[in-house]
Amino acid sequence: MTIIFIILSITALTGAISAIFLKNLIYAVYSLLLLFVAIAGIFLMLMAEFLAVVQILVYLGAIGILVLFGVMMTRNISGASSERILSRGWFFGLVISVLMLFGVLIPGLAFSELSSSPAVETITPSVKEIGIQLMHLNTPALWLTAVLLTAALIGAVVVAVPRNYSSKLFLTYKLENKNKSSK
Amino acid sequence: MSGSGLLKGMVVTAKNFFGSYVSKERLTTVSYPEEKSTVSHFSRNVPFLVFDGDDADAGMRCTSCFQCEKACPPKCIIIEKAKDENGKPLKRPAEFKIDMSVCMGCQICVEVCPFESIWMDSEFELATTDRFDGLLFDLKKLLKSNEYFHEIHPQDAEASDERLRLLAEKKKATEAKKLARQKAAAEKKAAEAKEKKEEGAE
Amino acid sequence: MSFDNPDQILVELSRLIVGYFADAPYLSFLVGVLLSSVPLIAIFPGCFAFTTWLERKGLARIQNRYGPNRVGPFGLFQPIADGIKMLMKEDIVPTRSDKWGHLLAPIFIMIPAMMGLAFLPLARNMTAVAIDSGLLFFFAIGSLATLAVFLAGWASRNKYSLLGGMRAVAQMVSYEMPLILSAVVVVMMVGSMNTSLIVEAQQYKPWVESDNPLFQCLGQIRGWFVFTPWGFAGFLIFFVASLAETNRSPFDIPEADSEIIAGHMTEYSGFKYALFFISEYVSAFAIIGIGVTLFLGGWNGPNIRPPWSDDPQAYLIPGFVWFFAKMFFLMCVMIWIRGTMPRLRVDQLMGFAWKFLLPLAFINIFVAGFYYYAPWYYGWPVSIGVLWTSYRFLSRVNQDKRIVRKRTYKFA
Repeated sequence: MTIIFIILSITALTGAISAIFLKNLIYAVYSLLLLFVAIAGIFLMLMAEFLAVVQILVYLGAIGILVLFGVMMTRNISGASSERILSRGWFFGLVISVLMLFGVLIPGLAFSELSSSPAVETITPSVKEIGIQLMHLNTPALWLTAVLLTAALIGAVVVAVPRNYSSKLFLTYKLENKNKSSK
Repeated sequence: MSGSGLLKGMVVTAKNFFGSYVSKERLTTVSYPEEKSTVSHFSRNVPFLVFDGDDADAGMRCTSCFQCEKACPPKCIIIEKAKDENGKPLKRPAEFKIDMSVCMGCQICVEVCPFESIWMDSEFELATTDRFDGLLFDLKKLLKSNEYFHEIHPQDAEASDERLRLLAEKKKATEAKKLARQKAAAEKKAAEAKEKKEEGAE
Repeated sequence: MSFDNPDQILVELSRLIVGYFADAPYLSFLVGVLLSSVPLIAIFPGCFAFTTWLERKGLARIQNRYGPNRVGPFGLFQPIADGIKMLMKEDIVPTRSDKWGHLLAPIFIMIPAMMGLAFLPLARNMTAVAIDSGLLFFFAIGSLATLAVFLAGWASRNKYSLLGGMRAVAQMVSYEMPLILSAVVVVMMVGSMNTSLIVEAQQYKPWVESDNPLFQCLGQIRGWFVFTPWGFAGFLIFFVASLAETNRSPFDIPEADSEIIAGHMTEYSGFKYALFFISEYVSAFAIIGIGVTLFLGGWNGPNIRPPWSDDPQAYLIPGFVWFFAKMFFLMCVMIWIRGTMPRLRVDQLMGFAWKFLLPLAFINIFVAGFYYYAPWYYGWPVSIGVLWTSYRFLSRVNQDKRIVRKRTYKFA
């Protein structure tokens, strides 16, 4: 088990670090996806099978493709070698993040009540438990999330549709067609 | 109703699928080397030489007039004139070669030939393992009988025979005329000679 | 070991083999893993080879040709000849291509294709990975193929490849929605995402456990979800969406050979190309297998209990026979469709997914919920009525309203 954990965490770290440092954007995206896969593997190790599935479905299947779409819109994908990756104040950022890690995150984890071993022994009941939790006890939260997502969806559609959609786009289309047919 | 068009299409393809097993007429292709589909009478591929009668050497129509060699756009026809022992050219080719890898099947040689000797073949299996000498056809390969010609292009062969007959008749007529003229000239000469003789005698 | 139950022979056999290694726990674990994974990796590419023959033959007959008939009887060894040809071909990597991406894409694409097979219940107790959220896992892994296709398209550094990759991403993302939503219906009805349990739920228990062989046969067919209104609609949506998910005709715009020269596969040759080809067919098999599991009763078929056995779970014909029979039937339908339908345009494709299939899948979920609680004399007519009306309504709404004039040619 420890061996698998070490392999997975090394993979995750490699993915994360190369996602930051690679100049080629597509490589960066794919190493980010490598990180996601490794994290899904760690979830599986912790017997959180459902979470692992959701990790793959959402992070690799949806977010990964979203990021890829974003990258496709970028001009310089392969990255010029002269470009610098680190920003000017990288040293202060490093110091702050190290301080955060050792000052807040690790003590917080160490002194919290969370158990470090898997919460369940076998994989089997996890899905049902999650379903009961979502549908019985935490239904309001689910509803709120659903409403929020719906609002975001509608907002996205509103933003995407040009203001004078019908008058502008269709008119030009019709005019073009008319010109063609009159010729 | 929407979707019914898709089903109709599916039915059509299903009919074709099962129909191809039931009726052979549906099949548009044949299993080639074993079966061959019939070639149209109007198909043409590469030229060949026609000979009359049974003996290829004797009945050869070609007189090695070099018309086709000169007209051939890709210059794939090579003719060598035959000569007798004294070096006098004969009216027949010693060698007639067509490079089939160069021939483009334009049929110009057929059009220029005054002796109805070269015609287009409908043979299409020209594949060979030797692409240089295997595709350089010589007299032996090129000469084919008039019967074969009748078989592959009946209409063309019919017309060609007709023209040859007319040509022969014309030739005969001109020859007869020539003969008559010669005869007349000879008679005239004889008469003149006689007259002279008579004058001399007087 | 007993051979009482022909259905379970292979399961018993694998248990026997694993039993030999009982002393070494790690080894027996390894052998168990190999025994459940290697057959999948061996059988499905074999099925792929057979399907290429079937497809070429079927398409040829649809077009009134003979099809391959040279290699072996009826050309059955054609796939072997093809494979040898693929192996011997030169592996061409374009100079300007991204070497690593070009190399890794065909490898990446095999992973989701092969992993998807692990969740198929080939017969009772014959699921390689019988986990509780198997169905969800299947769909999660199915969405990964997109990434590999995109990588292939981008790494080839070819306009056609990139276009194909973009089209593939757009198409797969949009058709995943109706695909999963049509499968949700079954999950709602069964109450589990475990594929084995879904198959079990499609038996009509009182008939299957009766003594009458006829009823035993019919009981294994009666329960198929495709014979319910929501199941029928769900199956149709699932099938159409799975055609699109696996880039099969008429939704093969990512690799449209006549427009963008096989899209992301343009720059691939030799065995890398073959890997793309194999993964396409294997993932088609996987998705059809899930379709069979969800709607067509999985390994259930007209099966009777063997006369010498009293076990109600014993069957004379092994379940995987039925499973593969159904799978190949659906594959033949796919080939049939490929021989019939012309390719869609990109906007038609997107419109079909978002404006027709997706609403229909949503409505189907509500219909299934209603059907679950209503008595049958009420549930059947209402659900059929609602589905039919919404089908007609959606097709009317989506109708192309432009007036189609007869095409006139001006310059030809």
